[in-house]
Amino acid sequence: MRVIIAIIFAFFLSGCSRVELIEANSKTIHDHVSSFKGEKAVLLNVWSTWCVPCVEEFPMIVNLGKEFKDLKVVFVSADFDDHFDGVKKFLNKQNISGVSFMKNEKDQPFINGIHPEWSGSLPFTILFGKNSGTIVNFWEGQEPESKFRQAIHLALNE
Amino acid sequence: MKKILSILTGITFLIAGELEIGSTMPLMDHQLADISGKSMTLTDAKGDAGTLVIFSCNTCPWVLAWEDRYVTLAQEFIPKGIGLIAVNSNESQFESDDSMEEMIEHAQEMGYNFPYTQDPGSRLATAFGARKTPHIYLFDEKDKLVYRGAIDDNARKPRKVKHTFLADALNALLTGEKIDPVSTKALGCSIKFN
Repeated sequence: MRVIIAIIFAFFLSGCSRVELIEANSKTIHDHVSSFKGEKAVLLNVWSTWCVPCVEEFPMIVNLGKEFKDLKVVFVSADFDDHFDGVKKFLNKQNISGVSFMKNEKDQPFINGIHPEWSGSLPFTILFGKNSGTIVNFWEGQEPESKFRQAIHLALNE
Repeated sequence: MKKILSILTGITFLIAGELEIGSTMPLMDHQLADISGKSMTLTDAKGDAGTLVIFSCNTCPWVLAWEDRYVTLAQEFIPKGIGLIAVNSNESQFESDDSMEEMIEHAQEMGYNFPYTQDPGSRLATAFGARKTPHIYLFDEKDKLVYRGAIDDNARKPRKVKHTFLADALNALLTGEKIDPVSTKALGCSIKFN
């Protein structure tokens, strides 16, 4: 019985630590995005656990990341700083592994640092070209999968 | 195909634009439904010294964090001649979270001391280029936009606010001083257009 409980506990713990949630400012996030230049297109999505449209489109973005091998999806949580555990819990529920980010900067420098034309409305999505590393498209708010696919194809060819 | 995608990209970039500083208040006669049961317009909401338009809603966590300051700003600046109106443009939620009944209840709970209105067709939000809640637009006595953006730099912790952007802009407007900055940014919930 003890062994079973230990296994369940170990499984639970491993499930909780799949994602590496890092607090970061906009510069660190852009440096991370730039590291994929020449290797992968990047889809950067700024979201929040309290943002209904963000949560609604989240699984679709995860699936697109799995479908396109040359696409790296980078999620950035803009939750309030006291919600770190809640963000991590959400990411684990979505089976996110590897590095994910959480904003640790004041709103204005964060928004302008991510993209100067972003108003601050969530969700916010940017596509970076695979070879160019430059922004090929960005938008505020929830959008249909077709728009994501169109932008991904463009990013993969830039 | 690439050309078409580039054009579409350009369109997306254009949509992100909003009302420029110095612009005249748009759609001043657009009929808004107020929680008082009456219909009103931005013209009705105008103050002698200026007008503050707040795009807001009932449920956005950033609104909930900041809206205590709507009330204190109203208490301080309405007596000084500033008109204040909150506009809910979440038309796709007018049958649910942002229904008139929910708005009335929310305003009572939070002690709103100013008009709180529904924007049919989200026309005001579209005309202003407002994309989120809360989103602030301050006009001078001639209905020219003099400040837009955030209330201050800390939604959750009012005591830790370092920059009271909107209060500073209001005071500068009332004393004839230069408003600086004229534009700020903060995170918010996307407006739910139909």
